[in-house]
Formats: sequence, C-alpha cells, structure tokens
Amino acid sequence: MNHAITQAARAASRRDAGAAFSLLGPASLLMLLMLVVPLGYMLRDSLNRFDPTEMMIAAVTPENYLRFFVDPFYRSVLYTTIRVSVIVTATCLAFGLPMAWRLARSTSRWKSALVVLTVLPLFIGSTTRTAGWMILFSRGGMLDIVSRRLFDAGSVNLMYTEPAVILGIIAINLPFTILTLQSVFEGIDPRLEQAAASMGAAPSRAFWRIVFPLALPGVLIAAVLCFILCMNAFATPVLLGGPKFQMMAPLLFWAFSGDNNWPFAAALAFILMATTLGLTGLANVVIPRRYRGG
Amino acid sequence: MPDPVHNRLSRRAVLGAGTLLAAPALLTRRTAAAETCVVGTWGGDYANLLRDNIDDPILKPKGVEVIQDIGDETPRVAKLTAQRKLPRGTMDIACVGAVNGYRVTDADLVEPLDAAKVPNLKHVLSYLGATAFVPHIFSAQVIVYNPATVTAPPQSFADLLDLKWKGKIGMVSTVAPWVMMGASLLESGTTTDFDKAKAFMLKLNDNGLRLYPETDALAPAFKSGEIDVAVIWLARSFMWHNAGFPVKGQFPKEGAIIYVSGMVVPKNAPNKPAAFKYLNAMLEPSAQRGFAAHMGYLPTVDDAPLSGTVGEQLSLPQPRPKLVTPDYPAISKALPDLNDWWLKNIQHT
Repeated sequence: MNHAITQAARAASRRDAGAAFSLLGPASLLMLLMLVVPLGYMLRDSLNRFDPTEMMIAAVTPENYLRFFVDPFYRSVLYTTIRVSVIVTATCLAFGLPMAWRLARSTSRWKSALVVLTVLPLFIGSTTRTAGWMILFSRGGMLDIVSRRLFDAGSVNLMYTEPAVILGIIAINLPFTILTLQSVFEGIDPRLEQAAASMGAAPSRAFWRIVFPLALPGVLIAAVLCFILCMNAFATPVLLGGPKFQMMAPLLFWAFSGDNNWPFAAALAFILMATTLGLTGLANVVIPRRYRGG
Repeated sequence: MPDPVHNRLSRRAVLGAGTLLAAPALLTRRTAAAETCVVGTWGGDYANLLRDNIDDPILKPKGVEVIQDIGDETPRVAKLTAQRKLPRGTMDIACVGAVNGYRVTDADLVEPLDAAKVPNLKHVLSYLGATAFVPHIFSAQVIVYNPATVTAPPQSFADLLDLKWKGKIGMVSTVAPWVMMGASLLESGTTTDFDKAKAFMLKLNDNGLRLYPETDALAPAFKSGEIDVAVIWLARSFMWHNAGFPVKGQFPKEGAIIYVSGMVVPKNAPNKPAAFKYLNAMLEPSAQRGFAAHMGYLPTVDDAPLSGTVGEQLSLPQPRPKLVTPDYPAISKALPDLNDWWLKNIQHT
C-alpha cells in the first residue's frame, strides 16, 4: 500500500517536474541562447588583443580592462554616466512619487485618461522624442526664440550640454517610474491612511510614516529601473549631448563601430554592466532590510 | 486489391516531397536567370545613386541583379576581416574610403585588379591610383563659409586661429583624420606631421571649435548663425547650394586634402565576374556624371568631363588649387592613436 502511494507520489512529482520544465524550459533556453551565449563570447573577446589589421588577436590579457581603469579619461566618462544617472533617478523619483501616489488614490472618472496621458510619451520612440527636444533646445529653437523675443534675454542654447541630456533622459524615464510607483501605491490599502488620519496624523505625516515605508521595496524597484535605463542611455546622449559629451554607451559604440576595437568595446560593456549591477546591489544593501521586499 | 503505396503515403506527403525534390531545380533556374552581385554600401543618397546610375541603367540590361548590403563602413571592414578565412564571403563589392581601401589591400583581403579584369581602369586619374581599391568619387576638404555673414573668408587653416572666428567654426567629429592631415599640411607641408597637427588642433579647440555629430547638423548651425565657417568636403557645399542654402567653399592656400571613396572586391567574393562588371560600370562616364550632378563629388576618370551648370559649379578655381593625396600607409598606421587622442583632447573638454 505504502509502496503504491510512494510510486504515485513519484509519478506526480515527475509530472510536476515535466510541467515546470515545459513552462520554464523554452523561455530559459531562449534566454540562454540570446543573452548568456553572446555574453560568453563577449567576455572572451574582452580578453583578446586589438590589432588594426587583424582586428582581434586571440589572447588572454587584462590589458583592455587595465586601459580603462588606468586612463583618467575613461574613468571620467564612467563618473559622468553615474552622475547623470543619479541625478535623473533622483529627479524622476521626486516628480514621480507625488504623481504616482495621486494617480493611485484618484477616484476621478478621469483617472484612466490621466494614466493614458502618462503612458502616451511611450507611444513615441525615444529617438523621435529626442529629435523634438533638439528643436526645442537648439539655437534658433523654441526656447531660444522665447528667451530672446519675450524676455529680451540672451540667446539660450542648451544643445550639446549635460543639462540637455539630463532633461531628455528624464522625459524618457519618468513615465516608467510613475507607472511602476503607481502600481506599488495601488497595492497599499488606503484604509491605513484613513486609520492614521483618524488618530490625528496629517496627510503628509501619514504618507511618510505609513505609506512610504510600505512602498519602499517598490520605490527601490522603480529607482533601479530608472537607473539602469539611464546608465545604458545611448540615443539621448548622442543626439542631445553631441560629440563633446561622453557617456558609457556611446563610448562603447564608438570603440566597437568607429574604431573596430572589439576587445576594448567588450571590456567597456562588461565594466558598464558590472558597475550598473554593483550600484544596484549597493542600493539594496543601503536600504534597511525591514523595508525591502520579500 | 489493396494499393500498398496509397496505404503508406498520404496525398500531402507526396505533394510535400515533390516540392522538396523540385526546389533545387527551381532555385537553379532562378540563379541562372540573373547573375547576382552583392554590394556592401552606405545607405541614403549614395545607395540610391548607385541604383539609379549603375544598377538599373547599366547592369540590369546585362542580366546582373544587384543586391545592396547597407551598413556603415567600419562594420563592413570588420566583416571583410572576419570573413577572410571563409572560402566564400558574403560581398562581391565592398564600398570603402581610401584609408580603409589601403588597409584591406595591405592585409591582403582584396583582389588585385587590372585593365584585363576591369577595362575602364585605364581611365582612372593617375594621381588617385587603382591597384585593388578602385576610386569611385572624390572631393576636397575646403573651408566652407556663409557669404551672408562672412565677407573676408579664411584663406588657410592658419586663419581659423584668428580670434574673430572664436566660437564660430564648426566641424564634424568623424572627420578627425582628415582635419589633422590638413593641419599637418599647414604646419609642415606634409600630411604626416601629427605632433604639429595636434598642437594646431589644441589651439583651434581653444578658439571655440564646435563639433557636430554629423555633416547634416552643420547646415542648421550655419542658418541659425551659430557658426560662420566649417571645414568639410566641397561636395557637401555643392549639395547645400543646390538645396537653396548658398554657402561657398574656399580652398586652403596650403593645399586641400582629398577624400576618395571607392570599391574593392574581396578575395573570397562569391561572384567575381559580376564584381568586375560592377566596377567597370561604376567607372562609366554616365555613372560618374550622375554622382557629380547629384552629390557634387568629382569623377575619378578622365573620360567624364562635366559640362553645363554642374561643370561650372564643380570646376576648380584658377589658378588651380593644390590637391593633396594623403599618405595612406602613414595615416593608416597612425589612425588608432589619432582617434584616441582626438577623443580625449578635442571631443572631451
């Protein structure tokens, strides 16, 4: 009898394992093929030696990584990328938190319309949106005309500056931040705020003492999403930053496509990836455990 | 009596098998109908003009079907290099600039050519040369200015250091090697004195040099008054002129570096006879005139004189300016270091 039960349990376990494999297998396999294998190739390339004629000579050398860390220029590009990403993430959170909270708590019949308005910029490709910013920022553009004609001020030319890049990336990342935060706030019971209010807490006190700590794991996810998007931004730094503004992703592309230096480009890719993952992990450590998800 | 065949094979299986068996024959007939030539080229105007002046009018009637493999030049060179050990590559023709033309020739990646393979090679201008890299079009690096705001244009690179041009000079970041050669020409009379060229570029950068990501970004900068002067190819000023923006070009008195764009045949090209036909067609006077008329690049052959408005617009001024061919081995060797220096010192301030 016991034997029969054990066999049935084993059969059920095998069926579960089969079901799990059939559900997880295809996606995992695709992930393995599309991400892990190319990353493996790239890691190998990053240890090769560059040669202008041969392009790449098989070797196992750390010289591409050393070149990056020894040269102050490349380090400064990484610092610029981190600085821009931190500013963009902080700004997106500062603007996104109140908007997302208000959207989540709204009972207006316009709520759906407001959500659609938030999502609307995502309907337009980031390059197209950046082209719009170019028209706005350039000399002879809208900002310049308004500044000169309406306020009789000097010429405004934000094109090819760091503030232009920061504004451009904020415009792209803000909807992602708001949407992520809104879903977090939607999951927090509004009766908690009502309970706090019934005990005399002002709305702001209720938000910061009750809602925000509960939302912190979600806020962390929104911040990480925004930060990663910014660390890897390409089109906006190229189009709004111009040739004299350097961030990691355009630099990587230049090494790969402009200089044909695949080993160095691969090393840059791993440095960028490691930095992004490292800083994301650091944020996870810095936030007290009791506020983290899970 | 039961039919054993129909018992075992369904109608669908028979049809499928038949199609599979017939496929090679169908494909062979298609291949035989049109000889194909795969051309690795830039996109945009250049690709369109290849189609309008070479592919459709000259090669199509001869039964050569041209397939364009569009992409940037550097990845194309990477592809040539990466495919060098394959018995059959993927391109019959690769369009490259002269510097890369030299590099792939030096690396023994491309087919040596002569008039037996490409008869029109005998018409190629002697100072452009044609061994494995066949020059297609060329232009000169000039100082372009807006005549509406500039009455006394700079006559040489040296004049660009004048404080009156502070913040008013524009360049495209990708032309670094050619601008450096122009600076070297000014400083030492050769195209290879890169130390002096670097010193000159630092001074020019201090004079408020503005860099743009691509040539098209210079036109709005001119129009808005952001810049008055730019160092670019004469061909581009021709295009802007014809588009209703009348800029003018000044040949630097120390000499103008020439930019040559051309084509090579990879050693492992799948269809070399078609590639040779393509090169010959590319050197035909009608194809050469077509590029001059639409892009303002000068013909690379001696049997395509330009006439009419195009001839007037593209004719070199008198006395004839000094056109200087780069020292390709030297620039090719120096290029990685020059690009790195430019990135750190001119593109990063």
